[in-house]
Amino acid sequence: MPGPAPPNHRRRFTAGVLLATFLGLAVSHAMLRASLREVADSASRRVAAVSLSALAELSARAGGRGDAVRKAVSAWQQRTPTAKAARVMVFDGTSLEASTRAEDTGEKAAPRRLSKDEKPLYDMAQQLRAAVETNREEGQKRKREIEPLSGAGDAALAIAEPLEKEGSVVGLVALEAAVASREVGDSPWWPLGTFLGTGLVFALVSAGVSRATLKPGGAGEKVERGLLALLAVLATLGGLSFFGWYSFGELEKARKQEHEQVSGWVRAQGDAVRAVLADQGLPGAGTVKPGDWDVDAYRTPLGVLDAEGAVRSQGADARAVATERSAWRAFALLFAAALGLMLVTGFGGLSRLGAALVEHRQAYLYIAPAILGTLVLVFFPFIYGITLSFTGSNLYNSSQSIAETWVGLKNYGEILGNFNVAVRAEDGTLAFNYENFYWTFLFTVAWTVSNVAIGVTVGLILALILNTKDLFLRPVYRVLLILPWAVPNYITALIWKGMFHQQFGVINQVIQMFGGQPVSWFASPGTSFVTALATNGWLSFPFMMVVSLGALQSIPGELYEAARVDGASRWQQFANITLPALKPALVPAVILSVVWTFNMFNIVYLVTAGEPAHATEILVTQAYKFAFEKYQYGYAAAYSTVIFGILLVYGTIQNRVSKATEAA
Amino acid sequence: MRLNALKSLLAVLAVCLSASALAADLVVWHSYRAAEKAAFEKVVANYNKTAAAKGVKVTTLAVPYDAFADKITAAVPRGNGPDVFIFAQDRMGGWVEAGKTIEPIDFYLDDATKARYLPTTFEAMTYRGTTYGLPLNYKVITMIYNKKLVPTPPKTSGELVAIAKKLTDKASGRFGLVYNYGDFYFHAALMNAFGGKVFAPGPKPTLNDPANVKSVEYVMKWVEKDGILPLEPSVALITALFNEGKAAIVFNGPWFLGEIAPNIEYGIAPLPVIDETKTPMKPWMTVEGVYVTAPSKQKEAAYDFAKYLTDVEAGKVLALEGRQSPANKAVYLDPKVAADPTLKAFREQVEVAVPMPNVPEMTMVWTPATTAMNSIMKKSSTPRAALDEAQKAVAKDVAGLRKK
Repeated sequence: MPGPAPPNHRRRFTAGVLLATFLGLAVSHAMLRASLREVADSASRRVAAVSLSALAELSARAGGRGDAVRKAVSAWQQRTPTAKAARVMVFDGTSLEASTRAEDTGEKAAPRRLSKDEKPLYDMAQQLRAAVETNREEGQKRKREIEPLSGAGDAALAIAEPLEKEGSVVGLVALEAAVASREVGDSPWWPLGTFLGTGLVFALVSAGVSRATLKPGGAGEKVERGLLALLAVLATLGGLSFFGWYSFGELEKARKQEHEQVSGWVRAQGDAVRAVLADQGLPGAGTVKPGDWDVDAYRTPLGVLDAEGAVRSQGADARAVATERSAWRAFALLFAAALGLMLVTGFGGLSRLGAALVEHRQAYLYIAPAILGTLVLVFFPFIYGITLSFTGSNLYNSSQSIAETWVGLKNYGEILGNFNVAVRAEDGTLAFNYENFYWTFLFTVAWTVSNVAIGVTVGLILALILNTKDLFLRPVYRVLLILPWAVPNYITALIWKGMFHQQFGVINQVIQMFGGQPVSWFASPGTSFVTALATNGWLSFPFMMVVSLGALQSIPGELYEAARVDGASRWQQFANITLPALKPALVPAVILSVVWTFNMFNIVYLVTAGEPAHATEILVTQAYKFAFEKYQYGYAAAYSTVIFGILLVYGTIQNRVSKATEAA
Repeated sequence: MRLNALKSLLAVLAVCLSASALAADLVVWHSYRAAEKAAFEKVVANYNKTAAAKGVKVTTLAVPYDAFADKITAAVPRGNGPDVFIFAQDRMGGWVEAGKTIEPIDFYLDDATKARYLPTTFEAMTYRGTTYGLPLNYKVITMIYNKKLVPTPPKTSGELVAIAKKLTDKASGRFGLVYNYGDFYFHAALMNAFGGKVFAPGPKPTLNDPANVKSVEYVMKWVEKDGILPLEPSVALITALFNEGKAAIVFNGPWFLGEIAPNIEYGIAPLPVIDETKTPMKPWMTVEGVYVTAPSKQKEAAYDFAKYLTDVEAGKVLALEGRQSPANKAVYLDPKVAADPTLKAFREQVEVAVPMPNVPEMTMVWTPATTAMNSIMKKSSTPRAALDEAQKAVAKDVAGLRKK
C-alpha cells in the first residue's frame, strides 16, 4: 500500500520566500521611514538649538536683564520669523525680563514677576542651573542642559537653556521653534517592486529545479528539498539586501541635506546676531562664533560645522558612522529573523502548526487563559529582566529609554570575566576579593551542598527513629519535630542571630559554661558560615524527615522479615531495602531542596547579612545588594540572569541523570 | 409634567457634580501609628474645618513604614500616588534624581515662611540649591541617663569617662555607657565633633578623612582603654541593659523613650563636649518633611496644606499629643511645650545637630561604613585601614552610578 503523499516542497518554499520577503520588506520599509523621519527631526532640533543658543548669547552680551536685553530680543525676533515666544527669565526677583509672546503685552508686558501658572518655567530654570553645576562638579556632561518645555503643541518645539553671566547661571532663555514637516518622500514602489521581483525569480528558478529533480531518473525528492532550500535562502537574502542598499542610499542623501540646512541656518543666525549687536551698540560683534551654536542636548558642539558654519566632512562622517552601526545591527537582526521564518515555513513548520491547532482546537481553547496568564505574569517580567541586563540602567538614568542605556554584554563581561578572586598579600596570606562573582558562586555551591547534606542526613536519621515500632508518644514527637518548619523562617533567623551574639548570646554562654572561650561568630568567614548553616539546617530537616517518613512507611514489613530470616545484618537491610525504597521520594526532595537552598535569601540576609565584609553572601543576596543598595539595576538584572542560567543547567543535568538512573 | 421633573432632576445632578468637581480632594500618605497618628488626624480634622470654605478636603492614608519609600518610588511617578506625603529626608536625593516624584517648592516659598523653621532643618530639605519640602519635625540622638545611677549628667567627655568608669563592672555585665557605636548613624555624632564628614561637595566621598579616623580611634579608646562600652552593641542589647538598670548612660533618640521600662527613672541631657576638640558631639538629625508630589493636580492646595501642617497651631498638637519635635521655632514659645522636659531637651540638642546628607549616594555609604566599624571593633583591622577600604568601596559605587 503506498504511503502518504510526499509534501510539496516547492509550495512550502515558495510560501516561505513570499512570507519572509513580504514581512522583511514591510519592516525594512517602516524602518526606513522611521529613520528618514528621525533625520528630519534631528534637523529641526539642531535648527532650534542654534536659534536658542544665538538668543542666549545675545541676551548674555546684552547684560542679562534690563532694557538692553528687551530691545535686543525684540530685534532678534524680527530677524527670526520662524521662532516664536522668545523669553528671558532671571532668578533675581523671579522676573520675566523679556518676552515676545503674543500674550505678554500691555499689563503682562515684561519686565514683571512670574505668574502662578508660570511655575514650570521657574522650576525648569532651577533644574537647568542644578544640571550645569552638576556637570561642572563631575567634570562630565551627565545632565542635559537644553530641556524641552511642555505646552507647545505638535507644530512647535519649545526648548530652554540656562542664561549664564560671568560663569554662573542667572536665569533661563526659552523659545518656540517651528518644526519642519515630517513628510518623508520615499515611495512604496521600491519595496513592492523588490517583493514582486524576488517572488518571480524564485518561482521561475524553483519550477526548473523541481522539474529537473522530480522527473523519473532525476536526483530525487531529498535533493530537490536541499536545492530549493538553498535557492530560497539566496532569494530572501538577495531581495532584502537589495532593499537595504537602496535604504542606505536614501538615508545618506537625507543626512547630507540635513547638514546643508543647518549650515545655512547657522550662517543666517550669525549674521542676525552680529547685526543686532551692531544696531544696539553692544560690544563683541567680532567675537561671535556661530559654529559653536550647533550643539546637542548637553550643549556639546556636534563637530559637524566649523566656526563659521561650513560643513566639515570629517565631522559629518564621524556622526554618520555611529548611526550606521546601529542600522547595520538592526538589519542583521531583521535578516536573521526573515531567514528563520522562511526556513521554518519551507521545512513545513507552519503546516504542522496549523494541523495541530485544528486537531486540538478545544484543548487549546481550554488552556488559552493559562497561556495568557503565564505570558503576562511570568514571561513578560522574565523577558524584561533579561532586556534590562543588557542596559546600564541605574538610579540616575532610570528615566532614559532602554535603547539609550544599552551596553550589550558589558554587565555579563564584568560579572563573568572578573577572575580577580584572591590576591597574595605581602606576608604571604591570601586575601580574597569577596565581591567577586566566582567567590560568591563557590560559596553558594558549598552552602547548598552542606545544607542539603545536613538536611537529608538529620532528616533521615530522625525518620528512622520515628519509624520504630511502638514508639512511645510518637505523635507528640512528630509535631515537635515539624515545628522548626512551621515557624516563619524570618523569625527563626532573627532568633538564631541573637543566640550567636558574642557577649550575650546563648551559644557563647554555653561554651563559657564548659570552660571555653567565647567565639566572635561574625568576625571570620568560617564561623559566620557555621551560624547560617546551623540556622538553615534547623529549618530544613523537618521537610526531609517528613518525606523520608512517608517513604519509609510505604515499605512493606515482610521485606525486613524475609531479610532477617535470610541472615542479613541491620546495615545490609538498610542498604539494600531501605535506601532503594527511599530514592524515588528523596530524589525530587533533594532537587527541590537544592533549588530552595541555592536561593535561600532570608537566612543569609538576616543571620549573617554577608558578614564579614560580603564574605558570606550568596548569589541572590549579592544581586539584591547591587540592585537596592547600590542602585545598579542593569548589573543586578545580569546577575539574576546568570543565577537563572546556573540553575537551568543544574536542572537539565539533574533531569538527564535521573532519567538515566530510572531507565537502568 | 414628567419631562419637567426629569429636567429639574438632571439640573440638580449637574449642579451637584459640578460642585464636587470644584472641590479639591487632597490625599496625604503617612506612616504614623498610635499617638502620632491620633495627633496627626486631629490636625487634619482641624484643617478640614477651615478649608471646607475653599472646597478643599484632606483624606489621610496610613502606609506601613517598611514599604513606604518603595511604594512612593513605584506609585508616584506613574500617577497613582498621593498629593502630599510625609517622609524623612534621607531618600529625597534619590527621588529628585529619579524624577517625576517630588515637586520643587521654591516658587511658592516666601521669606516669611522660610524664616519659621530652624535653619538646619530647612537645609535638610534642600538638594542642589532647590527646596523640595517643608520640614515638619526632627529626630536627633541625645544623652538619656538613669537618674538613680547618675544624679548629675556629665557635661564633658572627661566627666563622662569618670562617671562611666565608676559604674562599669564587666563581670556582672554593668556598663557606664551603652550605645550602638557600630552603627554609623550613631557614630556620626562623634565624627562631626572631630570635624569629619562623609561627603565633600560634589558629592565626593571622604570616608577616610583624617578627622574620621581620629573619631573612630577615640571611640575605640572608650571601648578598650577606658572599658566603659560593651563589645558588639545591638539595639536589643541596649534596651535590655538599660531596662535592667545595668546601663547608666545611653546615647539614643526619641524612639527609645517608648521602650524604657516604667520603673526606670530617666533624664535627658545634651551630648557632652569632647575635651580634645572643645566641640560638643554633633549628632545627625533626621528631618521629616512634607512633600508635594510632582504628578499632583492640586499643587497649590497641597502646598497650602503643607504650610498649615508646619505652622504653630498644628505644631503644638503634634508636639504635645504626638510627641514629635516640630521644626517650627515658634512652637517652643508655647508655655506647655516649653515646660515639657523631653521636648525641651531635644530642642536644646538640635542646636548643635547636623542634617544627615540627603544625597542618593548616601545609601551606598551604610554597608561599607558598618563593615568598617565591625572590623575595627573586632580588631581585624586598624581604623585607618578599615576606613580606607570603606572609602574605596563607596568611591567605586558612586563612580558606577555616575557613568553616563
